[in-house]
Amino acid sequence: MPERAPRADDASRTTGRAMPEQDALPFPYRGAIECRGALVTALRSVVDPEVALSIVDMGLVYGVAIDAETAVVELTMTTSACPVAHVIVEDVQAALDRVLPEHLAIDVKLVWDPPWTPERMSDGARAFLRR
Amino acid sequence: MMVASLARGRSRRQLAMPATIVMRAVFAALVALSLVAAIVGGLWRTGMHLPDAAVVARSAGQHAALMLSVLLGTTISLERAVALGRRWAYAAPVLAAVSGLLIVCGLRPEAAALGVVAAVVFVAVNVFLLHRAQDSATAMMVLGALCWLAGNALEALEPGQPAVIAWWFAFPVLTITAERLELTRFLPRRSSAGTLLRTIAAGIVAAAATSVIDPAMGGVAFGAALVLLALWLAAFDIARRTVFAGGVARFMAAALLTGYLWLAVGGLAWLGTALGCPGRDVALHALGLGFIFSMVIGHAPVIVPALAGVRLRFGAWFYAPLLLLHASLACRLFGAIANPEWRTLGAQVNAAAIGLFVATVAGSALAWRRRDVRRDRGRAHAPRARPT
Repeated sequence: MPERAPRADDASRTTGRAMPEQDALPFPYRGAIECRGALVTALRSVVDPEVALSIVDMGLVYGVAIDAETAVVELTMTTSACPVAHVIVEDVQAALDRVLPEHLAIDVKLVWDPPWTPERMSDGARAFLRR
Repeated sequence: MMVASLARGRSRRQLAMPATIVMRAVFAALVALSLVAAIVGGLWRTGMHLPDAAVVARSAGQHAALMLSVLLGTTISLERAVALGRRWAYAAPVLAAVSGLLIVCGLRPEAAALGVVAAVVFVAVNVFLLHRAQDSATAMMVLGALCWLAGNALEALEPGQPAVIAWWFAFPVLTITAERLELTRFLPRRSSAGTLLRTIAAGIVAAAATSVIDPAMGGVAFGAALVLLALWLAAFDIARRTVFAGGVARFMAAALLTGYLWLAVGGLAWLGTALGCPGRDVALHALGLGFIFSMVIGHAPVIVPALAGVRLRFGAWFYAPLLLLHASLACRLFGAIANPEWRTLGAQVNAAAIGLFVATVAGSALAWRRRDVRRDRGRAHAPRARPT
């Protein structure tokens, strides 16, 4: 069965706003180049519905490292007192599960250091919020 | 580096043990009992013919306690317990839910005492969260928790003291305000907007405190602060932008923006009733249903998965309870001016809107689960290995 595109009706990620894909990723990426495009698209499909922006545009992805066995994603939240953090983590895992090679284990880590700041948001995100 | 990790392939639902399932079922039953009692009591107060039973009269007399202290206290303290992630933090929602059972059973003093203990635990939870997050939004949540404690303590010491309602309303209002304050970090001009919002929040607390010693002055100040809060939200809140997005974000924003309208109406009515004008029903229910419950409905698609570990499939059907709530509230609060019977009718449809909301959440959970099963069946590969 072919890989499925992220669906639009999951309550936690229906609001994905298409931000132009950048050549330079807003987070460090270490891994096979052929995984990169699908991985970024999958991460962009995970949205914080309170601000209607993807976790990539919010600057919540701190980094991705893929080796022969595991894909590790380091993720933060805008506040460490966020009750929906584990839901977003599960969304990221589900999104990556659809696009990454099946032999890879997926490990999504919540990272609080350094703390998130608004400066991490993309220009597109800033423009949306300034409208 | 502080790190938490979740391995793919085993959901929280799959990890639940039988004892956990039983405890969750008992907890849900307690919440459902308080909700039903609060609604039945509320309908009785609006003149609906109901069986002449002591439990109905008790629920009517304790309608505000059930709705504000028990149900909102349970929900909000559960949300913060999930955020903290410590087992002891769940004592607050459990104790609040049990206090609802005690109220229904006619044990009001015991319920009030339990409410105080629940609020003390909740304050501690928020202090721990403040220690972790160290921002002004979390500090405002501590203030909201203290308002719940003040209301519960006043109810325990002096049952029926009119200012208890102001404290109980200040609790969810400040909690919501704190969440909106947190979101101002994303906005330009955030420093001045944030300072203004913090000032309004301080005004709400000061007004609730004044209501204890001078109900008229406190009521005017409380209503005025609510109107100012509505104006701030209409001017600065991020929902003004996200309403132009799609899906859940738009739904949340629609629920928020309509709620802000009712917040202004409720504030004006609160101010008016403090000056001797009629309109107590408008003051209480524009605020309780129009603002706070609209917020609850709006956040349900996001917060229910976090609190209950149950995923929801979002769809346009979520708008049905929201529209029904606001339409029936307008019928109840404004239609009653022309025809008093509209108040009863509007209240009944308010109750139906809450029932429809519960059914919508349940149906969405089933819809997600059905799709999840289909997805697992169609999976191209076996579950992945867990990371080592």
